[in-house]
Amino acid sequence: MLGKLTWSAIPFDQPIPLVAGGVVIVALLAVLIWVVVKGHLPYLWREWITSVDHKRIGVMYVLLASVMFLRGGSDAILMRIQQAIAYQSQGYLPPEHYNQIFSAHGTIMIFFVAMPFVIGLMNLVVPLQLGVRDVAFPTLNSVGFWLTATGALLVNLSLVIGEFARTGWLAFPPLSGLVYSPGVGVDYYAWSLQISGVGTLVAGINLVTTVLKLRTRGMNYLRMPMFCWTTLASSLLMVAAFPILTATLAMLLLDRYLGFHFFTNEAGGNVMIFMNLIWAWGHPEVYILVLPAFGIFSEVVSTFSGKPLFGYRSMVLATMAICVISFMVWLHHFFTMGAGPDVNAIFGIASMIIAIPTGVKIYNWLFTMYGGRIRFTTPMLWSVGFMVTFIIGGLTGVLVAVPPADFILHNSMFLVAHFHNVIIGGVLFGAFAGFTYWFPKAFGFRLDERWGKAAFWCTFIGFYVTFIPLYAAGMLGMTRRMQHYDVAVWRPWMIVAVIGMAILTMAVVCQVVQLVVSIRNRESLRDRTGDPWDGRSLEWATSSPPPVFNFAISPDVRGEDAYWEMKAKARQQQFAHAQPEYQDIEMPRNSPTGFVCAFFASIMGFALIWHIWWMVILGLIGAWATFVVFAWRDHDEYVIPAADVARIDRANIEERRNLVSLAGSV
Amino acid sequence: MSELSDHSDTSFAPGDEGEHDVGARVLGYVIGLALALLLTATSFFVAGTTLVWQPSIPVALIVLAIAQMGVHLVFFLHITTGPDNTNNVLALAFGLFIVFLVVGGSVWIMSHLNQNMPPMDQIMRMQ
Repeated sequence: MLGKLTWSAIPFDQPIPLVAGGVVIVALLAVLIWVVVKGHLPYLWREWITSVDHKRIGVMYVLLASVMFLRGGSDAILMRIQQAIAYQSQGYLPPEHYNQIFSAHGTIMIFFVAMPFVIGLMNLVVPLQLGVRDVAFPTLNSVGFWLTATGALLVNLSLVIGEFARTGWLAFPPLSGLVYSPGVGVDYYAWSLQISGVGTLVAGINLVTTVLKLRTRGMNYLRMPMFCWTTLASSLLMVAAFPILTATLAMLLLDRYLGFHFFTNEAGGNVMIFMNLIWAWGHPEVYILVLPAFGIFSEVVSTFSGKPLFGYRSMVLATMAICVISFMVWLHHFFTMGAGPDVNAIFGIASMIIAIPTGVKIYNWLFTMYGGRIRFTTPMLWSVGFMVTFIIGGLTGVLVAVPPADFILHNSMFLVAHFHNVIIGGVLFGAFAGFTYWFPKAFGFRLDERWGKAAFWCTFIGFYVTFIPLYAAGMLGMTRRMQHYDVAVWRPWMIVAVIGMAILTMAVVCQVVQLVVSIRNRESLRDRTGDPWDGRSLEWATSSPPPVFNFAISPDVRGEDAYWEMKAKARQQQFAHAQPEYQDIEMPRNSPTGFVCAFFASIMGFALIWHIWWMVILGLIGAWATFVVFAWRDHDEYVIPAADVARIDRANIEERRNLVSLAGSV
Repeated sequence: MSELSDHSDTSFAPGDEGEHDVGARVLGYVIGLALALLLTATSFFVAGTTLVWQPSIPVALIVLAIAQMGVHLVFFLHITTGPDNTNNVLALAFGLFIVFLVVGGSVWIMSHLNQNMPPMDQIMRMQ
C-alpha cells in the first residue's frame, strides 16, 4: 500500500535532522495558522498563489530562493564546524549524516537558491525593461515557478522522511547506483531535480520568447538594456542545457528503477558517460547563473556612475560569445578521467579562451566607472566587491584550466575555494545587488542603506576569511568532502574558516535586520516617483510598485538608455506634451493551473521516491487533468477600462512632475 | 497585446503564416506527406536491396534520413529562408550547433578515455 514507506523512514535516532525538521514544521504550521486566523488566505490565493503577473511570480521566486538560502547556509555552518573540530576525532556529525549535508548544501545552493534568485529577478525586471505588459506565456510562468517550489519541497521533505543523497551534488555513479546507494536519498535528489528541471526549462522558453517576440515600439535588439541581453543568453543556455540534465538523470533513474545498465559497472554500462553528460549540462549551468549577474552589474554600474554603459556593443558580443563557448569547455571538470593530452589540451585552451570575453566585461565596467560621478550605494558596493572578488576567482579558474595544474588541484579544497569564489563573488553578490537595486521597484520603498552596507561588508570580509584558508588547505593537499582528518597543518586553516563562517552568518543576520528595519520605516523610505536611483532603463519609467499592466501607454523607444532620454526630453519641454490617449488594456486572468499542477507533481514525486505506484498514477492523472482543464478554458483575459488606466497613470505623472519642478527650483 | 508585437523585424512562429489561402496550405502538406512517404519507402527498400553496392547502404540511409528531416522542417514546420523567418532559422541553427557540439564532443571524449592506459592486449600478456 505505501511502498517502501514505513515508520523507520523517520530518523527518530538522529537528533539533529529531527530537531531541525521539527522546528521548521512548527514554524510553517505557525505561519499557516496565522495566515488562516488573520483571514489572509483568500488574499494570498487571489493575489499571489494563482497570480500570473510576472512581477508577483518574480517576487515569489526570490522569496523561495531566500528561504532556501537559509537552509543551504545552515548546512554550510554545520560543515565548517565539523571540519574545524574533526581533527583526529569524529567531530559531531557521523559520516553518513555529514555526506548528506554536503550533498544537500550543493544541490540546494545551485538549484534552489541561485537558480530561483536569478530567474526571479529576470521575471521581475525583463518585461519592465522591454516596456511590455507581461511575459510571453504568463500561466506557463506560474507553472514553472510552482514546479521549482515542488523540487524544493521534496528536498526539504528528505530531512524528516527518509534521507537525502550521500553522493555529492552531482550524484556520480556507480556510487549513486542501486548497488552502493540502495536507500531513497538519490531518488529524492533525482526526482526533485527532474520536476524542478521542467520548471526551469519552462522559465527559459518563456524568457527567450519574451525577449525575442515582445519588445515595445522602437526597442530593437541593440537598444535593449544589458540585463535583457544576458537574460536572453542565459535563457538560451537553459533551453539548450537542461534537457541534457533531464536525459542524464532519466537514465540514472532507469538504472535504479527498472534494472537498466547505462551507468553500471557490469552488463556493458559505462560510468564515465554520466560524468561526460552531467558536465555537458553542468558547465553551461554556471554561465546560466553568472550571466544574469553580469547583466545586473552592468545596470547597477551604469546607473550609479551616471553614465551609459561603456562599450555596449562589445558587451553584447562578449555575452553571446560566452553563451556559445560555455558549451565547449565541459571536459575541464574531468581532466583526470583518463583522456589523452590532445583532448585535455583543446578543452584546457577553450577554458582559458572563455576568460577573454569575461575580461572584456570587467574592463567595460571599469571604464563605465571611469570619469563618472559614482554614488556608493549598497548595490554599487556589491558591484565593486564583485569585481575584486570575481577577478581572484577567475584567475584561480584559469589556473585549474591548465591540465597539469588540475591534476594536482583536482578534488582538493583549492577547487572548493575556487568555485565558491566565483559563485559567491559572482552570482550571490549579483543577486544581492539586484535585490537591493530593484527592491523599491517591486515594493515601493527602498531598503535601509546602513544595514545594507553592514551586510555587504560582513559578506565581503567573511567571504575572504572563510575561503582564502580553503585555498591554502588545498595547496597543502587537503581533499574536499572530508568528514575527519589527521593532518595537523590543515587544522589552523579550518579554524580560520569557521571564524569566517561566523562573519558570514552575521552578514545574513544583517540582511534579515535590513529587511525588518526597512519594512518598519517604509513610509520614510517610500519611493513616490518610481525612479529612486535616477535610473536609465524603462523599468524606472513606471510607478513603484508598477500597476498590474506595467505601462499605461506603451513606451516609444528612440535610443539606448531609453528612460534617460525620455527624462532629458521631459525636462526640456517642462512636461508640456499633449495628454496621452488612454485605451482599454487586456490582461491575462489569474489561474490556479500552476499551483494545482505542482500539487499533483509533488504527490507524484513523493510517490515515485517511495515506490507507491497507485499514488504515482493519481498524481499523473491529476496533473494531466489540470492541463486539460486549462487548455479548454473559455476566456483567459479581462479588461481594465481606459478610465482606470488614466486615473492610475495621472497620479504617477503628478508625482514625477513635482519631483522635476523641485529639482528645477534647487 | 497585439500592438506590441508590431516590430519592424516581425517574424512568425512556426505554423503561423499569415495570408495564404487554405488550398495552397493543404497542397503544401500533401506534397510534404508524399515526399516523406517516398523517402521512408526508399529507406526500407534500400535497406533490403542487393541492387546497389553493399557498403554504400549505410551512407544512403544517412542521406535519406537527413533528407527526411529537411522535408519535415520545410513542409510541416514551415522553416523558410524568408526575412520573416530569421528567428526560427537562428533557433534551428543554434540547436543544431549545440547538438553537434555535445554529441560530437561526447563521442570524441569517450573514444579517448583510455588513452592513458596501456593497450588491452598488453594487460592481458602481463597477467
